[in-house]
Amino acid sequence: MAPENQPSRFTFGRGPLVAWVAVAGLVLVSILLGGAGVRPGNPHLVKIVSSLPRTGSAKAQTDTIVNGISIAIEEAKGKCGDFDVVFADWDDATAAAGQWTAEAETANARRAARDPDVMAYIGTYNSGAAKMSMPILNRAELLMISPANTWPGLTKPGKGDPGEPEIYRPTGKLNYVRVVPADDLQGPLSAKWAHELGVRRVFILDDNQVYGKGIATLFIAACHDLGITVLGQESIDDKAQEFKALMTSIKATDPDLIYFGGTTQTKGGQIAKDMVAAGLTCKLMVPDACYEDAFIEAAGAANVNDRCYVTFGGLPTDELRGPGHEFVERYQARFGRPPEGYAIYGYEAGKVALAAIERAGKKDRAAIIAACLAIRDFDQGALGRWSFDANGDTTVKTISGNLVHDGRFQFVKVLGD
Amino acid sequence: MAASLLLAASESGSTGALLLQYCLDGLTSGSLFALLALGYTMVYGIIELINFAHGDVFMLGSFLAYTLVARLGLDRLDPAGRWGAIALLLVVVPVFCATLNLSIDRLVYKPLRKAPKLAQLVSAIGASFVLMNIGLLWGGPADRNFPALLPQQNLLGPDAAVRLTTQDLMVILVTLPVMIVLAIVVKYTQLGRAMRATAQDPTAARLMGIHVDRVIGATFVIGGAMAGAASVIYSLYIHTISFQMGFQNGLYAFTAAVLGGIGNIPGAVLGGLVIGLVRSLSSGYVGERWTSALVFVILIAILVFRPSGLLGSRTREKV
Amino acid sequence: MNGHRLLARCDNLWAPCLVLALVYPFLTPLENLLFRYTEMSFGAQLTYIFIYAILALGLNVVVGYTGLLHLGIAAFFGIGAYITGILRVAAYPFQLDFLSTLFLSALGAALAGVCLGAPTLRLRGDYLAIVTLGFGEVTRFTLRNLEAITAGTRGLNPIPPPGIPSPLARLLPTLGIAPDFALDYRLFYYLCLGVLLLVIWLLGNLERSRWGRACVAVREDELAAACMGLRIMKVKLSAFALSAALAGLAGSLYATTLGSTAGPDAFDFARSITILAAIILGGLGSLRGTLLGVFLLVGFDNVLTPLVDGLLQRWTAGATGSANFWLTFSNWKLMVFGLALILMTRFRPEGLLPSCRIQHELHDEGAIVEGAA
Repeated sequence: MAPENQPSRFTFGRGPLVAWVAVAGLVLVSILLGGAGVRPGNPHLVKIVSSLPRTGSAKAQTDTIVNGISIAIEEAKGKCGDFDVVFADWDDATAAAGQWTAEAETANARRAARDPDVMAYIGTYNSGAAKMSMPILNRAELLMISPANTWPGLTKPGKGDPGEPEIYRPTGKLNYVRVVPADDLQGPLSAKWAHELGVRRVFILDDNQVYGKGIATLFIAACHDLGITVLGQESIDDKAQEFKALMTSIKATDPDLIYFGGTTQTKGGQIAKDMVAAGLTCKLMVPDACYEDAFIEAAGAANVNDRCYVTFGGLPTDELRGPGHEFVERYQARFGRPPEGYAIYGYEAGKVALAAIERAGKKDRAAIIAACLAIRDFDQGALGRWSFDANGDTTVKTISGNLVHDGRFQFVKVLGD
Repeated sequence: MAASLLLAASESGSTGALLLQYCLDGLTSGSLFALLALGYTMVYGIIELINFAHGDVFMLGSFLAYTLVARLGLDRLDPAGRWGAIALLLVVVPVFCATLNLSIDRLVYKPLRKAPKLAQLVSAIGASFVLMNIGLLWGGPADRNFPALLPQQNLLGPDAAVRLTTQDLMVILVTLPVMIVLAIVVKYTQLGRAMRATAQDPTAARLMGIHVDRVIGATFVIGGAMAGAASVIYSLYIHTISFQMGFQNGLYAFTAAVLGGIGNIPGAVLGGLVIGLVRSLSSGYVGERWTSALVFVILIAILVFRPSGLLGSRTREKV
Repeated sequence: MNGHRLLARCDNLWAPCLVLALVYPFLTPLENLLFRYTEMSFGAQLTYIFIYAILALGLNVVVGYTGLLHLGIAAFFGIGAYITGILRVAAYPFQLDFLSTLFLSALGAALAGVCLGAPTLRLRGDYLAIVTLGFGEVTRFTLRNLEAITAGTRGLNPIPPPGIPSPLARLLPTLGIAPDFALDYRLFYYLCLGVLLLVIWLLGNLERSRWGRACVAVREDELAAACMGLRIMKVKLSAFALSAALAGLAGSLYATTLGSTAGPDAFDFARSITILAAIILGGLGSLRGTLLGVFLLVGFDNVLTPLVDGLLQRWTAGATGSANFWLTFSNWKLMVFGLALILMTRFRPEGLLPSCRIQHELHDEGAIVEGAA
């Protein structure tokens, strides 16, 4: 046996010869390989990747986005101009966290930046995750198309935190576009709708996340303009199990409406349930991240029927006409169930990526970004005719108002113009 | 008397009624924590192990209850039938959880009885992960809505300032008897005496002819059954189940057990009620966003002044 | 036993491993080849493993040397990351240079450790554990709620990469490294590896110092140690502070490498538990064990899982379509992780590469208990 004190320390002895041979071998192989290990990129292939939270609680919503992208690629029959197109579905969540993590999103962005075949990066789902990958992809001059980020600060100067959006653009150039309207539209229009519904006293809740808190803040600002009394504002802990005491305290303020800035995954369903449990009979309004069947499933239909108002950027799938309607039918035929709200943005993002690559006509990231930013009057997708503005935002301004009725979302009206 | 107090408060203006309501909510959810905390504290008292998997046994109990309700259509029964359904759940789920808890002990913890405490802790964490993964595969990653089997009308009348529903009553009606039975078992039965003896000194207990392994097994069975009962009433009261609920609730329940003095059975109940009350009052008066932090601040403060918890006796660590 | 011999043989591999770690960034063809087939940058992943190794070594000071169960190491990791964020991001007026930030982050975390430890370290075993757990949660919620300072869940970003002194900046291109942290992962790789080696060297010396022996004495028998004239509280508190400082150091590197403090949820209880599991798995109180444990656990989490998922996806789904729920490895990850923990503690409760002292004790103690039973 080894001397008493030896094994507890590092033994920087010679180590077995085999190991040294192995290390030397690796070095040698590496030198011999030379440039052969580098993949030059396949000149006939372009790759589109998506980075969305594919494990954990947002999975249902991202499934529908990925399905939407898949349909766009399948429609192109895997070809785009002269190139073959492949699509890879990457995950920016981990099972342990149950949601997106900064590490996974950063790793995805670096991976895409480095792969010479990747020409478009569709993502992210969470605005917080976009803050991670945007600077990396910006340096790599890789086109990033978000089907779901709605935090205004990602693109609009002066609408987010100080320094946004320049801090995400270290090269000073644009590479990020989004096909979904930002919350500086949805927040105020929701407040306006609430006012039309006769709401004069409102209590605001948010989930303390980039998206939820952001839209709640915009909602409050609009309430002040419209003369709606804001009775109070509170941030919930999305890991808490129940909010009965909170609802009791809200009940004492006697609101007409509770606005929850948050998502299904950050306990939107539980809020609806605990309102009922605490005996609150007022209305509930939630933003687009709750526009998914999972929200009604989580809340229990009986708790939200005819009292829960949901806003959504764009029209509900049932109301779509023309190409939008065709998309819904194709989706139904392909996946055996109707698409959820965000499917259409996934589809649109896929279409935009394909169009940008085709219009650029060459496998050059900078040219593809330029082609994408130049898109005007785009009508190949399902959202009708729209353009990208100077910030990379869509000109789509349709926000729809929906009410939960009989366990389904029922379209009520188009908000705003 | 309690009812007249409730009525008096509900008429006496909103501030008092509000306070009463917070206390009521706090005590109700607190008794849930207490029921779960008992499982932690009993196991700790006997084998000095923080049974991390306990919360996940509770979680799987909820999933079984959910599956039973969905498969047998228990939520479509008439009101009387629903009470029967709850009674059925309160038998089946605790049996399941007790079996599960016992098998975890036999398969995972028992071979490690002589291993260092930290190794046991890691295997408990491992067991917790395995159960959590089973929950994930069983129920999927999203929150599930547990159908309401009980009416949510206010029993004190629709306009009363204080709200007391059948669900609140059900929580009390189940937890109180369970705790009383447990107290009797621990205090007066042969098994209870054996458990207390084993907790005090396993070697001496063995020398006195106590079958220590059997006693440990019984502890796991009782703890599991209580987790099962807790999971049923939790599901009926909170209405949401997910594969992560065991972790979150287990954290609070374990905190409750430590707060009361770990290994101390009345302490666990007291700790659970205190945590429920703190949560509820903090949501009402301090702000929801600080609630969870406040629970732990109070825990640390109490432990600084009472290093063995509220009811724990100052025992010297075994040398 | 065969397994033991295998582990003993692995234990001889440290020198080759170190050399491999040092030359790996220059094996560009190898890295590219791996990237080609796995779509993953092993160099970048190794950088994170180095950072977590520093964190784990910090935790090991408290849990391994001093024998106190600590369930909130992630809080100090987070405090270090946020101090770095505050001192570096453009939104604040400080904009300190990287090295001072690194130092101040470690110092700040150590101070937080002293503040927590001073009143609570007299608590016995599991009460202390729950206090550290509680502190972890309190820290997470404080980071979340003090939005004016920490930007809440948005996190502080972007954190600029460290500056490079000009002589080095001139030297780097000749080595084929771009002198910009954002462009070449190798700079962070060497930075983190360098700090890690420094920490290992420091701890290796401390372990055998008067202080290191005092820690072990406290772990083994507090009463006896006190009788021998050791000031228990001082030893415990210094171990606690050192551990917090190392965690803060790791946090600072983490935030700098990531370019952001991430959100408060990156520093939750799950992180503490993973790191704790890593050091217990590797072997408590042993530097080598800690490194191996971190390599296995973080590697499993960050490298193996995405790798297997990518492969499964390519086989089952082809170019389009989404993956099958049952055939997604991340949905089984916790199960594999949990089973691994259970089996390892079952068959090797002292950890894979235990410190010889703990191993000896275990076997002696085992014999005594066996005799008693």
